Amino acid sequence: MNILHGQNPATMNEKASSPMTTASQNANVTKRLQSELMSLMMASTPGISAFPNDGNLLNWTATIVGPEGTPYAGLTMKLSFAFPSTYPYTAPTVLFKTPIYHPNIDFSGRICLDILKDKWSAIYNVQSVLLSLQSLLGEPNNASPLNGQAAELWDKDPAEFKKHVLARHRDITDDEAGQ
Amino acid sequence: MTTGYAPPPSEEELAYLQKLSNEYEPEVTGPLVGELQPSTNITTEYARADPVYIKKTEALPHKYSNYRACRGDGNCGWRAIAFAYFEALARNGDKTKVHAEVTRLKSFQNILDAAGFPSEVCEDFAEELYDLLRKTAVAIPPPDNGNPATDVKALVFEAFNDESTQAGIITFLRILTSAWIKTHIDNYSPFLMGEDVFTYCGRAIEPFRHEIENVGINALFEVLLKPAGFSLEIPYLDRTPGDEVNMYTFNAEYPITTIRLLYRPGHYDILYKIEDVQQPVHTPHSISAPVYIGSFPHHTQDHTNGARGLDYLHMIPGVTLVDDISPYSYGDSGFPSPISTHPPAMQQSLSVHPIPAHPAPASAYAPPPLQIPTHSLGVARLPIQASQSQARTGPFRPSIWELEPSVASGPPPQFTTSIFRNSHYNTAHFLNPDFEPEQWSPDAEYVTSNNSGRRRNGH
Repeated sequence: MNILHGQNPATMNEKASSPMTTASQNANVTKRLQSELMSLMMASTPGISAFPNDGNLLNWTATIVGPEGTPYAGLTMKLSFAFPSTYPYTAPTVLFKTPIYHPNIDFSGRICLDILKDKWSAIYNVQSVLLSLQSLLGEPNNASPLNGQAAELWDKDPAEFKKHVLARHRDITDDEAGQ
Repeated sequence: MTTGYAPPPSEEELAYLQKLSNEYEPEVTGPLVGELQPSTNITTEYARADPVYIKKTEALPHKYSNYRACRGDGNCGWRAIAFAYFEALARNGDKTKVHAEVTRLKSFQNILDAAGFPSEVCEDFAEELYDLLRKTAVAIPPPDNGNPATDVKALVFEAFNDESTQAGIITFLRILTSAWIKTHIDNYSPFLMGEDVFTYCGRAIEPFRHEIENVGINALFEVLLKPAGFSLEIPYLDRTPGDEVNMYTFNAEYPITTIRLLYRPGHYDILYKIEDVQQPVHTPHSISAPVYIGSFPHHTQDHTNGARGLDYLHMIPGVTLVDDISPYSYGDSGFPSPISTHPPAMQQSLSVHPIPAHPAPASAYAPPPLQIPTHSLGVARLPIQASQSQARTGPFRPSIWELEPSVASGPPPQFTTSIFRNSHYNTAHFLNPDFEPEQWSPDAEYVTSNNSGRRRNGH
């Protein structure tokens, strides 16, 4: 932004607090999340589900069932969603809580998915994120892996890959996932 | 950029600056849409910049009188167009058109469906836009209202400075633009340098806080502005050589008005020409007044009464009312009659020059208006400048009429009139060069005086 004048490192360092923290904005987030929850429960898409933790609408736990025909078939993965007060204009923070072996997911559960980063748009919602993640399980983006070994194995040795997936997988409880 | 003027930094400082640069997010303070400012502020802002910028910004205020800053958070271009769209509707002042816009935008649901945006995804955002349109329609005053568009401008300004309202509107415009591009692939794919339109829209149009690019501007113009009859004009203030900003225009087929943005690399603001900013003049009197004066060369009491409501005419340079002429000023200006030795041609030339020529600074007001002796022409009496005042500033050389003492002392008044109270010919008026505040004095109240300079209107 070469239009900003009189900037010096000191002022650059002071990040302004998020502008969207007004009460009305929070009310809007709540309203939006309530309607998302409603449509998720009504639609009951197979293989995905999500629900707020302990009545806190800004933190959800979601479940994805591994799609058939992938190394994750039959496995149940839990994820956490943390919604910022600026949602849906900023992406939720989504983490895999269930240990998973995947080229685009690191061992802390962090996900490399463009729509959760720079391609996030307000048109996405919990359901579309979960569907994207579900398809990511079967179609990893091996060009930009977080887990290089997994990316290599995916192409070279599917059987070995599947072993790693099963070895790493561990079913967790909702309480664990909610932390 | 921001570190350019720093002294050569050490390696540590460089690392620190690099870290700041990596973490830097565009400034998010300041209003989302700023107040109207004179565009000379931009010139001032660039006064110490690159010579190319200096030249271009110096030329800017000649064409655009005002501008409005938008917050540079990546939505500025979208916000600028959306805000200017609402302002254009407000300026246009047609309630029906605003309602028609709601209907028109709702009719885009088919392209939204075709582009894969189900209505349940868009409706919340769309509703923000429709809601503001409906509020705008309500706030637009009826056409004969003398105070145009003040409320509606405040309404739009407030709405665009409300985080969630403007975020919803911008998001819907992004969706609409994306849908338009996706349903007009042939028009846009040649400009995407091989990128698939769906990838492009997912990368550059739909993400909130992604700056608008040329393809997006074109599509947004096509979908939002063009059918509404709004042309779009974008001067580019960048480092390309030249004395003036480069202009990019998008023309509506039947333009009603023009929306103007200022582009600086990575940022958009809203620009205004003087006619966009000024309230339309709803004072038909100001047009008819000169005719009125001209057609009544002789003062009568009726005219005094009839003209009472027209005080503001004094603000218009070169226009005066019959009633403004103080008794003694007739003496000063009274022409020495047809027996004058001066050639008539000169009188004619005097009679035509004053109106446009006098910028009429406050100090230049001086009593004697010029009365044209040739009444049959029906030309107005026009004030000429400062026959007695030495502070003459106009472009004209002094007239013989001003210098000739015998002329200046002139014949006695032939008829009398009272000073219009709010006239600058009244010394109690602040624009009068001999201004003296009026003071009530109980003694003077009961004294009849011929000191006409202190007389009050209607006595």
